[in-house]
This record gives sequence, structure tokens and C-alpha cells, in this order.
Amino acid sequence: MTDRQGTGPQGTGPQETGPQGAEEQDRLRDRLSADSLTSRRDYLRVMATVSGGLAVGSVAVAAGVLPRHGDAKAAEVVPLRVADDLPKGRAVTFNYPTEHDRAIAIRLQDGTLVGYSTVCTHLACGVLWREERGDEGQLYCPCHEGAFEPRNGAVVQGPPPRGLPKVLMLEQVDGSVWAVGTAYSDESPVHAACRQLNAKDAKLGQVACPKTVRD
Amino acid sequence: MPHPADQPQPEEALATGAVDWSAPGSAQPRLNRPVAERYPQIRPTSGHADSRIRHSGPGPGAGTDHDPERSAMLSGRLIVVLSIVVGQLWALGVGVDAWMQGHTSIAWWCAGFEVLSFLIALAAWRFGPTDH
Repeated sequence: MTDRQGTGPQGTGPQETGPQGAEEQDRLRDRLSADSLTSRRDYLRVMATVSGGLAVGSVAVAAGVLPRHGDAKAAEVVPLRVADDLPKGRAVTFNYPTEHDRAIAIRLQDGTLVGYSTVCTHLACGVLWREERGDEGQLYCPCHEGAFEPRNGAVVQGPPPRGLPKVLMLEQVDGSVWAVGTAYSDESPVHAACRQLNAKDAKLGQVACPKTVRD
Repeated sequence: MPHPADQPQPEEALATGAVDWSAPGSAQPRLNRPVAERYPQIRPTSGHADSRIRHSGPGPGAGTDHDPERSAMLSGRLIVVLSIVVGQLWALGVGVDAWMQGHTSIAWWCAGFEVLSFLIALAAWRFGPTDH
């Protein structure tokens, strides 16, 4: 009976020269051959190719290949009636500025009206309103435990790299709630409003917005 | 009939171990003679003006490493390119963040940095020693 344990490098018995030993040697030779397939020079070529791919990707990003909340042409964005009334502590979801952009409007306990995109800035999961989290509620992403502050959309927990893009909300005298514009991640509402006003009417934007905001 | 140069060594040499079996060369002494002695037909000018002879053949030191630091240079080039790729990953993250925040000019600066880094990586890859 062949001793499989005895066919290692330290074995000196006749088992090494049997079929088992030959098979093991062939397997070892195959493994060593596979290991030597990638040399340092090959690795250098692969990494240089990866570097080129990153350069191309970065140029594509700067050129605008990634979708961005609020990138619908500002002149085409029309106000959207979101709700007839929004009581304190309640939230309503809607799509704005296009039907593919998920958003949420929240009435905080002190009456402040805020609106955000509900696409997480980490991996685009859906963000939920959790009133019981934090001092006055949080926008919570269940995928990776990310959380956003409800007053300005800043990240307070988890892996998201940026704050939530905002939806500019407006309340009419009759109590109805309207979405009237969008802001990028961490962009101030004033800057976003002026940016969209400039896109609609440049002359009006120059008059209505201070130069520091326009730049 | 064996070649005269292949005559076995004296018995006493084998008995005393005077034969250096680890010495380079052949076990047949006739094959260890100098080339000119083994092939007297070959002259120093043999092959001159022969159209079939295109190269002089390997010269002294053939088969050895002409540049002993070539391996270290290859490792160094690889480290440089790996560092560049790490920097590019960082710049890509910064560029994506900037684009998403509306800072398009910063995204373009990052793209420029990426392209410049790629050119350096390309140089580190292509312009190495070619004596392999």
C-alpha cells in the first residue's frame, strides 16, 4: 500500500518513484510553471495599463459622464407641487427634477421645510427618513449604515463621501409644498438658486445674485 | 579504437583522488583541448566575406548579466508605477467628489494630474534597459 504521507521532500522510500510520486512531481511542475507566468516586467506592463485606464476614467468624470442630481437643464426644470400640506414630523417622497431622481421633503419639528435627494452618495442605495434617530431625526441609508443630518444633508455617520444633494423647497400661502430647484452635494441653496437663475435668465441672474455667489 | 587523447588516466591518480571530477569540461580529455587544437581548420579569419555570416556571434561574457543592477532597476520602476497608481486612485476620488459638488474646474485639474501621472508611468515602463 502506498503511503501518501511519505511522498514529500523528506521521504526516501520507494514510494517516491511510483505513480503517486510522478503525479506529485507533475503537479508541482505545473504549479511552478503557473507561478512564473507573471514576471515583474509583465506586472509593470499591467500596472501601466491600469494607470492609463485611470487617466481615461478621470477625464471622463471631468467631462461629465457620471449622472449628477440636478443636472437636468435648469431652464427646463419646472416647479413641482409635492403636497397640499405637510404637517410637522412628516415626510413625503417624490421624483424631482426628473422622474428618475428620487427625492424626499421633510417638515422638521420646528417647522423647517427641507428637501433632499434620496440617492445615497456612497453606492446609490435608497435613503430613508428615520425620525427616531438622532436629536431631530436622520436620513438613514440601510445598506452600509450611512446617516445624514436633516438640516443641511451633511454626513454624520458611515461611509458616504459627500452630503446629500438638496431639493430647494417652497411653501405657498395656502400651505402647499413645492419643489423649485436642486443643489449639488454640499452646495449652498443660495448658490444653487443663483446658478439655475443664471441658466434661465443670465441678465436677471446678474442683477439678483451677488458676484461672490455667481463665481 | 579510442582516440589517443581519450586514454584513461593512471590508476594511481584515481586511487588517490587526484582527479578533480567537479572541474568544468568533459570527461573525455580530447574535448577539453583548446578550440584551435580541436578544430585546426578554423582560422581567426574564418567566415570573412561569407554572406551567410551576419553576426559575429556571442563575444566574451556571453550569457552573463551585462548590467548587474538591471534587476534592482526593474523593481524600482515597478515601485514607481505602483506609487503612481495609488496616487491616481486618490486623485480619482477627489475628482469624483469635486464633480459631484459642482466644482468642475477641480475635476479637470485632477484629470490633468491623472494624465501626467500616466505619462510618467508610461516612461517608467517603456524606457528601461533593453539588454534582456
